[in-house]
Amino acid sequence: MVVLNVDGIECRYGSVKVLENVGFSVKEGDFVGILGPNGSGKTTLLKSISRTLKPYRGTILLNEADIYSLKSVDVARQLAVVPQDSSIGFNFAALDVVLMGRNPHLSRFQMESSKDLDIAKKAMMLTNTWQFAERPINELSGGERQRVIIARALAQEPKILLLDEPLTHLDIINQLEIMDLVKSLCVNEKLIVLAVFHDLNLAARYCTSAIMLKKGKIFAAGSLEEVLTSENIKSVFDVDAIVKRHLVTNSLFVIPLSPQKAPPSRKCAIHLICGAGTGTAIMKALVDEGYSVTAGVLNVLDTDFETAQFLKIPVVSEAPFSPITEKAHKDNLAMIEKASTVVVTSVPFGFGNLQNLEAAVVALEQGIPTFVIDEVPIESRDFTKGKAKALLAELKSKGAVFVKDKTELLSLLSVSAEKLNVAKEEKARFLAHLKPEIQDKGESN
Amino acid sequence: MNTSEVEGTYFRRVSRWKLIIILLLVALFVTVIVSLNIGYAQIPFTNILAALAKQIPLLNNYIDSSLVLPRESAIILQIRLPRIIAGVVVGAALAASGVVYQGVFKNPMADSYILGVSAGAATGASFSLLFGSGTLIFGLRLVQIAAFLGALFAMILVYNISRVGSRVPVATLLLCGIAVNFFLYAVVALLEVIAGDELHAIVFWLIGGFSNVLWADIWAVLPFIAVGISVVYFYSRDLNLLALGEETAQHLGVNVERVKQILLVFASMVTAAAVSLSGLVGFVGLMVPHITRLVIGPDHRILFPASTIVGAIFLVVCDAIARVIATPFASTLELPVGIITMLAGAPFFIILFRKKKQSYAL
Repeated sequence: MVVLNVDGIECRYGSVKVLENVGFSVKEGDFVGILGPNGSGKTTLLKSISRTLKPYRGTILLNEADIYSLKSVDVARQLAVVPQDSSIGFNFAALDVVLMGRNPHLSRFQMESSKDLDIAKKAMMLTNTWQFAERPINELSGGERQRVIIARALAQEPKILLLDEPLTHLDIINQLEIMDLVKSLCVNEKLIVLAVFHDLNLAARYCTSAIMLKKGKIFAAGSLEEVLTSENIKSVFDVDAIVKRHLVTNSLFVIPLSPQKAPPSRKCAIHLICGAGTGTAIMKALVDEGYSVTAGVLNVLDTDFETAQFLKIPVVSEAPFSPITEKAHKDNLAMIEKASTVVVTSVPFGFGNLQNLEAAVVALEQGIPTFVIDEVPIESRDFTKGKAKALLAELKSKGAVFVKDKTELLSLLSVSAEKLNVAKEEKARFLAHLKPEIQDKGESN
Repeated sequence: MNTSEVEGTYFRRVSRWKLIIILLLVALFVTVIVSLNIGYAQIPFTNILAALAKQIPLLNNYIDSSLVLPRESAIILQIRLPRIIAGVVVGAALAASGVVYQGVFKNPMADSYILGVSAGAATGASFSLLFGSGTLIFGLRLVQIAAFLGALFAMILVYNISRVGSRVPVATLLLCGIAVNFFLYAVVALLEVIAGDELHAIVFWLIGGFSNVLWADIWAVLPFIAVGISVVYFYSRDLNLLALGEETAQHLGVNVERVKQILLVFASMVTAAAVSLSGLVGFVGLMVPHITRLVIGPDHRILFPASTIVGAIFLVVCDAIARVIATPFASTLELPVGIITMLAGAPFFIILFRKKKQSYAL
């Protein structure tokens, strides 16, 4: 049983503290991702474990022996490192480089035996590098070279594998192949893998647990589910992100949203009529532009509903998979009243959500400017035997502005936002007269 | 490339390396014999071989050396042979240390003189030529001892200035070497300025050559060079690993600081011993490792011994040229070998480099 214990280490470069009170313990079969923004101490942590940077304080124990009191060669038999970037001074053949991984297993005067060659060959087969075994290392592409370096680490037959951003130079298929390989070694050969990742999704896909560093300290550590949450990502990386479990891979995945710029403050409220994911991108765009956004009616579990929840947008909601009830419709109309603009997305209409379109007609009748995004022809998304098409035509005849996509919508909105603001007060007075009539109309529907 | 072919190549590697060494040793032997024939006095090959064989125990009873004149025997054994053996020893030493410095520094411009060894030796030699010319200590010329001590002193100085705690970063080492070189060459220049009649001797020493080398001078430096080269050879695989970078070498089980220390100290000792015998013969320590690497590749387990022998051959050939090239103009004028190494070596190196530059990277 191989155990690596990092106990309260503190690392410094000169007098600058880079790591402080970092401690954790990993055992056979653990695949630990080390996450954190630039300068959080990830690489330093790997350096101290690989004996390159002795901690100022604290100990690192490999099977209860302090690695800094062991000989280099004894550590190298158990621990291999794949560095971030590896330039090689002389032009060795790829196989020579991999065979150098056998160094800790050879005595000073020993030549590599056929056994060593077999191990190197196996490592090169696994990393798909055997076909250029005799090519000079400096003539290989960055990705090929990196795979050779990984083969060298495997030729060491380590119990612990440290990877420092190992996939930086690799294309997507190589990334997946290499990570699949490392994962299988971790599972089958009971390797301990400690890997620094910048790509949270790769970490999410392969790690069993994670350590999240912030400014040299452990911010979160534990199972992937505990560490990789949007709250943690927000506090450590200062980025809003959606964390979900992927339907196909069944692993967590992270969608970072663009970092929150201080949005221009607009006093314009926009109500979105959307659903089935057609409003998601628009919500985000509108929020980023500084509009205050509301939406409805949306079914709980709808993608747009979840997005609204995430973006903290007020929503009139309906139970999952249910038609819009009278109560929800009224709430929706009440919300529309407070809005200065209504936007209808290219949502498909069925009898369950047709009332949303009627709400848009009401909005228009109340004098609220209404925009219709007409990205998808209504014929292909009308499941109400033409009723939706008729309502859309009515909207058009009553002066709704039809735009072709999100971009056009945003540009029109930004032009009219100020104008709308002014018109708002006027509209409020106008509404006071019409209110009873609207309510009647709502009930009669 | 076929799988079994690749494996076959690697299994044959050891025997191929042995073959390279044997061929080079044969080439060295032939070079020495041919070069014994070169000189002002014409001596037939048979007489040369007879005179040599006469010196070998057991074999000497079977050799009829009656045809060899005593004068010829004296020229071969006391004048030409020590000079040629000095060429072998110094050439081997400079090439060997050049390989080490280029490997440790991973720098193509690194050579045997990079750590101030040359400047230290030059300073020691200039002082002794200026103030104690002709003095003998234990039968050795003062200039040899002074050069050796000066070289060791410079190396210790550079090493200690560059040390940061227990580590010696190569970049610092390189810069300190350059700084100390400049400083000590300033001292040498000063000594040259104030030197009167001794200036000629100092200039000759700085160019480097083997005139008037005696057997005793060779025996004095041989142990240092032999021990140094042997020790470094034990670390040739570590030199390969150092080429991957110091951190990686450490990850692969090399005790980097200790190995670096051993390599640099012994390589410097070898260089110091060599230059104390010959003066500052230039270019051998820079070029020979490059040339050998171009031909046989970067693996130090073969590169190191091969460069050592190539260095010996190269310097013996250059010295042979130095001995005869001026004879058409002045029958007894012999040039210092340092001039020849620099004149002959540079163009040869450039031609080779341009030919293979596509596949060559350091």
